[in-house]
Amino acid sequence: MGGWSEARVIESAPDESSLVAARKLARPGPWSETGSNDVLVWGKCQGSGKTPYQVSIDISAPAYRCSCPSRKFPCKHALALLLLWSRGEAAATGAETADFAQDWAAQRAARATAREQRSADRTVDVAAQEKRLAGRLELMDAGVSDFSRWLGDLMRTGLASARSQPYRWWDGVAARLVDAQLPGLADQVRSMGSAVHGRADWADHLLLCAGRWWAMTKAWEGRDRLSADELADLRVALGWPIPSAEVEGSEAMAGPWLALGAHRSSDGRIQQQRTWFRGPDGGIVVVLDFAAGGEGLAAPQLAGTLVDSTVARYPGSAPRRALFTAPLLPGGTSPGLGTGCSVAEALRQESAAVAVSPWRERHPVLLAGVRIHPDGPGWLIDAVGDALPLIEAPMDSLLALTGGHPVDLFGELEDGHVRPLSLVIGGTVVVP
Amino acid sequence: MSWLTELRTSALLGTGRHPAPTPPVDLGVCPPDAVSPEALLLDQAALADVATRAARVAGGSDHLMVRPAGADDCPAAPPEAARLLELLLNQPPVGKELRDHLVQEWLRTAAAAGRRVPHRLLPALLALAGSRPSLAGHLHPAIGARGLWLQELRRDTSLDGTGPEDPVATAERPGSAEDFETLRRLDPARAREQLAAEWKSLTARERAARLGAFAENLQADDEPLLEAALDDRAKSVRETAVELLNHEPASARAARMAARLEPLLQVKRLPRKHFQISLPGVPDDAAVRDGVPADPRTGHPDRVAQFHVIIRGAPLEVWTRVAGGPPATVLGMLRSDSRIIDSLATTAGIRGDLPWIRALLDLREDAELLGHLPGEEREQHLVRLLKTGSTLPATVFQLLHGLPRPWGGELSTAVLDRILTKDGGTLAAGTASFLPLCLTPETLKHRALRHEPPDDDACRRVLGDITRYHSIRRSLTEAFR
Repeated sequence: MGGWSEARVIESAPDESSLVAARKLARPGPWSETGSNDVLVWGKCQGSGKTPYQVSIDISAPAYRCSCPSRKFPCKHALALLLLWSRGEAAATGAETADFAQDWAAQRAARATAREQRSADRTVDVAAQEKRLAGRLELMDAGVSDFSRWLGDLMRTGLASARSQPYRWWDGVAARLVDAQLPGLADQVRSMGSAVHGRADWADHLLLCAGRWWAMTKAWEGRDRLSADELADLRVALGWPIPSAEVEGSEAMAGPWLALGAHRSSDGRIQQQRTWFRGPDGGIVVVLDFAAGGEGLAAPQLAGTLVDSTVARYPGSAPRRALFTAPLLPGGTSPGLGTGCSVAEALRQESAAVAVSPWRERHPVLLAGVRIHPDGPGWLIDAVGDALPLIEAPMDSLLALTGGHPVDLFGELEDGHVRPLSLVIGGTVVVP
Repeated sequence: MSWLTELRTSALLGTGRHPAPTPPVDLGVCPPDAVSPEALLLDQAALADVATRAARVAGGSDHLMVRPAGADDCPAAPPEAARLLELLLNQPPVGKELRDHLVQEWLRTAAAAGRRVPHRLLPALLALAGSRPSLAGHLHPAIGARGLWLQELRRDTSLDGTGPEDPVATAERPGSAEDFETLRRLDPARAREQLAAEWKSLTARERAARLGAFAENLQADDEPLLEAALDDRAKSVRETAVELLNHEPASARAARMAARLEPLLQVKRLPRKHFQISLPGVPDDAAVRDGVPADPRTGHPDRVAQFHVIIRGAPLEVWTRVAGGPPATVLGMLRSDSRIIDSLATTAGIRGDLPWIRALLDLREDAELLGHLPGEEREQHLVRLLKTGSTLPATVFQLLHGLPRPWGGELSTAVLDRILTKDGGTLAAGTASFLPLCLTPETLKHRALRHEPPDDDACRRVLGDITRYHSIRRSLTEAFR
């Protein structure tokens, strides 16, 4: 595991204020007994109290431990130490591992072993497993038929009357779906509660979504006729995840994997990071990371870096979700992202993807030679003059980086809009 | 009506009130028999969803034309310099005013080194410059062609294409008070002519406000207009004219005031040389026209107030002439009468009369008067003021702020010494925004910056700012080397 860049440290901050606080501490003054090895970075930071805070960081996981009372992970002390370490201003390798860091690493190792032991020890009780599955299916069946009745009611009374319902009406429906173990569907319904009030095209949006939900209930009822991949796509849309243990055992695909772009979001409770990679065969996969509560998200792979590792793919249609099954080794950076396509071609790809998996709402696109225009929500325009609107676009940054000149752009095509995630400027991949 | 429109109508109203449309046969759809109206509508909604998403077409771009940015000739700043700028823009380690100065310094150094702001930092820099006008003038040439292009783009989108106008041309049109002030600043003679021409058509308030704008750059040529304003109907206009004429010891009014003042002053030589001052009598019409308050109809007239108006209107030479000596002699003869000295100080202040100001400052510290001294002299007086240990008036901060930078060693040391004293917090807080900018690097050897910081928060902060500011400046120079 090599050193981290400062950018990577900044990415790992839980919020802006932690980073601001960390920058103030990122000077040698308050630090003592710092050191690092391949896995750990440690140090003591003199705070306002008498005893200095003991900070240990496992840079491979990454995991953070600090004796301060902060409930942020990583806390400002850990961030400050990482900043110093990334700049080479402290925590040089060579020092003997501090006791507190050693103890913590040992505890973590012990816990991990115990966990593995437990899962290995767990005798597979086939009968109990089948019973659990049958129970879940029964619950989902009931939930789906309840939901399709609700859709019927929605259509009978009309969308206009649904709009006059308060948020809690939508929340109530979502809660019932969660109880029926259909959290994916529940999320969509919950967000509709605000969309019907926030969107100008709310009626069309609700109508088409209701149609999609209806199709999902129909597909679930007829799931025996679906192929394995189709069923997997449907499961993801409904919110019945495929356990990663099942995936880990499947065939592993060798790298190098080129990071195309990443997007981070947070709903307050759970942080999510999705990173798009392209493999040596040109196939695109997406890796999802989640972190809840105090955990930190996995360090992001910056767009344009090559990662040497193997991935296993979840079932489903392309682009498939994947997870890394080996340690991620840096494999250099790429001068570009590959050959992009035109806007028309990107829309054709989306069209084909919808035909294969009508539940999927997001498609990776690599567009060649597009210009950015700041009008309204922002637009990208390809060489023949076809334009697509942008969403969540950092317009100032896009304009500053491109200067209105054509660039290759990677992004997510969603609901007819492109969310730009990375650009190629002068032989370098940059994140706007 | 198209199928989709019909579908929307049915869905909005509900199948309870409006039937589901017939499925589009030309899409090859044949609906199952015997389904409920709701199911028929939902089936078609699902079809519409897939059809919409599978049949998206790109928008045209005829209305989306932008001329791309020109090429940047100079290379981007080196990585270390870029990191410094990024730090200053996103997480400034010093206060806002200091940050602005450091950003300016960055831009200047970059321009001198033939480097430019890296493109990715332009948005944050331009956003900052948008809210801090002091920065806006320093952006070129460091922001390069890309920066210019972004600025044009912002202007185009925010101002609908109205370009900047010639300020003189704008101000010359009759209009707001601000326009007039601008004109007066840019072209005093033209402003005077304009005011004279418009005089009759303006309200009293407007006349007073426009006349007031003359204060900033009063000239001898303004006198006829001011003299005429003494006869104005409105009291506020007359008062403004009096205020302005007080600035002009060579005016006709000053000569009239001198004639009123001189007979009131008599020099007595025993027991030692001093003034014997008589108060003025009942002011005649000419005196009232010159601003001397008329006697009230009832009650006692305030002769002292009338006397002070005369002092402020008359030339100061009356005093030296009568006393037969320089200002110091006059002040020595007035030692017991501090109210008269106050009036003389005010008069010397508004006239910027240096010999008088110096003499008055020898008598007592007066922050107001200090402001009129040339930089170096002012600095010496401030050093004296800081060393006295007496409570500092709030005007000191302004005076320190106005001094040419960097300060000399003596003043720098005096300020730092004072900050270390028990009441240093006030000085630290009052100068926090600019003190680091005023000190030379040599001052950094001062004990205040080398030992344990004091307990007071404001002191600690300003001393920390000084160290940080100078260390960033040093790094900045090195980063571009």
